Amino acid sequence: MAHEMMVLALQLGVILLAAKFTGWFFASRLKQPKVLGELVAGMLIGPFLLGSIPLGSLGPLFPLVHGTIPVSPELYGIATLGSILLLFTSGLETDLPTFIRFSGKATVVGLGGVIVCFLLGAGITVIFHPDVHSFMDPEALFLGTLSTATSIGITARILSEIKKISTPEGVTILAAAVLDDVISIVVLSVVVGISLVSLNGGTVAWSGIGLAALKAVGFWVLCMVVGIFSAPYLTKGLKRFQSLGLLAEISFGIALILAGLSEMAGLAMIIGAYITGLSFSQTDVGPEINERVKGVSEYFVPVFFAVMGMMVDFAAIVPVLGFGMIFAVLAFVGKLLGCGFPALFVGFNLRGAFRIGAGMLPRGEVALIIAGIGLAAGAIGPDMFGVAVLTMLVASIAAPPILIFSFRGKPGYKKSLEEQDEADMVYIELEFPSERAAEYIRKSLAEAFRAEGFYLNSIEGSVRSWQIRKEELVFVMKRCEAKLEIAAKRQNESFVRLMMLDTLADFQEFVVGLKSMQSPDLMGANLMINMFAQEDKEKMNRSE
Amino acid sequence: MKLKNILAPELITVDVRGTTKKEIIQELLGLLVKAGRVSEVDMVLGELMERERKMSTGIQHGVAIPHAKTKAVKNLVACIGIKKEGFDFQSLDGEPSRIFIMTLSPIDRVGPHVQFLAEISMVIKTEEARARLIQAKNAQEVLAVFGL
Repeated sequence: MAHEMMVLALQLGVILLAAKFTGWFFASRLKQPKVLGELVAGMLIGPFLLGSIPLGSLGPLFPLVHGTIPVSPELYGIATLGSILLLFTSGLETDLPTFIRFSGKATVVGLGGVIVCFLLGAGITVIFHPDVHSFMDPEALFLGTLSTATSIGITARILSEIKKISTPEGVTILAAAVLDDVISIVVLSVVVGISLVSLNGGTVAWSGIGLAALKAVGFWVLCMVVGIFSAPYLTKGLKRFQSLGLLAEISFGIALILAGLSEMAGLAMIIGAYITGLSFSQTDVGPEINERVKGVSEYFVPVFFAVMGMMVDFAAIVPVLGFGMIFAVLAFVGKLLGCGFPALFVGFNLRGAFRIGAGMLPRGEVALIIAGIGLAAGAIGPDMFGVAVLTMLVASIAAPPILIFSFRGKPGYKKSLEEQDEADMVYIELEFPSERAAEYIRKSLAEAFRAEGFYLNSIEGSVRSWQIRKEELVFVMKRCEAKLEIAAKRQNESFVRLMMLDTLADFQEFVVGLKSMQSPDLMGANLMINMFAQEDKEKMNRSE
Repeated sequence: MKLKNILAPELITVDVRGTTKKEIIQELLGLLVKAGRVSEVDMVLGELMERERKMSTGIQHGVAIPHAKTKAVKNLVACIGIKKEGFDFQSLDGEPSRIFIMTLSPIDRVGPHVQFLAEISMVIKTEEARARLIQAKNAQEVLAVFGL
């Protein structure tokens, strides 16, 4: 036991160093997302490359573990924790009202992607594989299924890095990817059922498959509803502890529990984590929880991606390189068309459709897990497992730059998708003689809002802005040079005006106080005189 | 924040008699003292007057909201006074103030203090509500305007 833990500590240390350095190199030198660097780091130091080199009496640092997952269960466990942290924070960064508003569109996008990918994946296997002659052949069914699963992790990480999670496209991608996972589980259970029958004979147990599907969908819907309705009450109760740290820790505990329950229901753990984050995202403490959990996730998320990279078995790819490349490219095209094309009909323009298609491109460990199940059931051979590995490799390396590229430029949705409630907003502006004065008032106002029980969070953008929030009350404060502006709903206008009035009254007092201050010139002179006081004193002593 | 927990008939007067800013504030403070909600009168009076000195709390339409943060209270306290003939509280629109809503909030406790003031001013945003307050004959009629 002690030996395993020692190896785990060494492995984690090496992973963190490699992933962080490579991540930094990719981000700052190659202008690529960090996640790509972390994946590459995993490939390089993993059990299929450098990790297999024996290090004296220790042996290889990453010995090859036989089975679908080539690393030790302990290391995979830490990586899973990383994926839970990642999806929990992604949920926290998602704007829930937008998520709900776009969930219908996401369903169309997710379904489109799954159908097109499945048909392309299975079709290409029938055409190019000499032993496969029909769509119902287990090999065709499995290859169709493994091309459907989107890796929500890679997409969520990139969207978070480029601050696009809460855009209509970002939300649609994440909602569709979550749905994708639910559909993939359903498709997988159908495919396993059919494959077992065609391999061993008998009839397909549709009732069992239906039950598994119902359980997965039911759990998903139940968690969404319960989570969304209970999170505001839960945080209100937890605020009594008067510790935001404790609140964040408890909410992460809930995310872990829901992740476990999610796996029990037949879904991926990350789905439970994402739903928990999404539920807390709407509360006034959502950004505070995110800030605290992010600190921890910075340590664990790179481990997840590095371990994902470690799954790439280069030797398995070589024999199937030709077919594998065609398959991987078509799996790409399937998502771009299958998700992008329907997006055009639900309010997105061509740019938005491309973004959505690109966001659904990454394939990750889910493709390998599906292939692993097929391998264990005898439905696919080791060669087709190699195809899954290659698909994952191509998708993980090519998707991040494409996704980043796609998000450049103007919005990707048509006018009809823009928020309609602008008319109900009021904008209260104050102009100051200087930026410094505006900044001073901004800080005083922030303090005053905090004293009223509000939480403030900085919003990234070209103009400095802050979200001021307490339960359902939300304002946005902006400072543009010497101008300060607060946007509020009309019914909360008086409150904001009173807050500004009191802050101004304090400011006036401050200004009066400044005027009565001793002349700064004199103060400066005193400072300088005292600077040499010691020397002068010594001189005087010496002369005496 | 529930108005019912903060306002009570003994915290309301429909006959403010003071003829200076200080007298009016003192009179309103008297209500809070009498009701046992504030004890350190001099300190609180100083703080209220200090706030007035910085900037008058006379807002528009005959409403004034003298308020201060003080160590003398542990929770938000409030009282209401009506002066039918009005008094020049140096309000923004120059109109004499007839409705006085005074609040005192704890200095070191986070809570909806200004928000309370805002909520109460929302109630008296309509001319009709303000007219009902000015014409109120007793504390009960004032409370009725706030739905209590």
